Amino acid sequence: MIIPVRCFTCGKVIGQLYEEYSARVQNGEDPAKVLDDLGVSRYCCRRMFLSHVELIDEVMPYT
Amino acid sequence: MKLQVRELTDTRCSFVVDGTMPDIVNTLRRTLVSEVPKMAIDEVEFHMGPIRDEEGNEYDSNSALFDEMIAHRLGLVPIPTDLTQFTFKDRCECEGNGCPHCTIIYVLNKKGPCMVYSGDLQPLGDMSLAVKEQLIPIVKLKEKQALLIYATAVMGTGAQHAKWQPVTVCGYKYYPTVKLTGDCADPKRCVSSCPKKVFELDEGKVKVVDPERCDLCMNCVQACTDAEGVSLVTVEGSDKKFLFTFETDGSLKAKDALAHALEMLSNRYEEMREMFSGIEA
Repeated sequence: MIIPVRCFTCGKVIGQLYEEYSARVQNGEDPAKVLDDLGVSRYCCRRMFLSHVELIDEVMPYT
Repeated sequence: MKLQVRELTDTRCSFVVDGTMPDIVNTLRRTLVSEVPKMAIDEVEFHMGPIRDEEGNEYDSNSALFDEMIAHRLGLVPIPTDLTQFTFKDRCECEGNGCPHCTIIYVLNKKGPCMVYSGDLQPLGDMSLAVKEQLIPIVKLKEKQALLIYATAVMGTGAQHAKWQPVTVCGYKYYPTVKLTGDCADPKRCVSSCPKKVFELDEGKVKVVDPERCDLCMNCVQACTDAEGVSLVTVEGSDKKFLFTFETDGSLKAKDALAHALEMLSNRYEEMREMFSGIEA
């Protein structure tokens, strides 16, 4: 729906990084490099970005 | 006991302690995780019904997420905490009514269409209590939707709920020692056997570059052998020397969290000592 505030596993605050991540990936950058750049080093936090589907824009019209 | 600090930033700390025991280090870990207090949003009051702006436009107090979901997300936002300034609500001199020593009230007032961020939380009173991570998305609003929220942050510990846990990643490992006892028959296999990249190839020979990365997985012990299959690496973890690492969520500085945990431990033993001093055999 919307990016979780924290990593489910370790609790690192990751929400604030999502907009930069998604903008840079949309510009054609390699997700792995962007995550390294943002300091997301553990695989638990990285999957929060890689597996996220931003659905809030699809749901919003029906509220 | 010897101490070497390997890394110390606002949110991350790692150090090596020598001359201690696993139970002592584990006590420190448990205290850091579940007993160092911090502030977190605990009560969220939503304005219900229509919201009007200055120009008389009417907004619906509704959004794509359930109110409890928004409250949950607000709870996870790290609130800057000064442990000398705040106390627990039930131990405060206001007797749990809420005062500037035990509660922080935030107001969130946003009208759509927009993205609501953690930075939109405005503290009532002291602006130094404003949230540091300004860009955490909370919810998205469309046209004619608005949010008016009063959120109250109070102090708590990780034992109650993870939102009150200032230290997120926290652990220690036995200090590893990796030694090569001869020239390996297949250096490439030996180097690639290590998932933590402890070894490197140096002019066709295996070299230990960073033994502290070692996880004691023992893959190299099997991979690195001479022609007869005798292992040429010894890997040992010490139960007297530890590599301790922890991270905070940003509400407390790593150094402050550690200092507070150690102070709590010593206070607790001091309390026990006092109780025993009154007992006669």
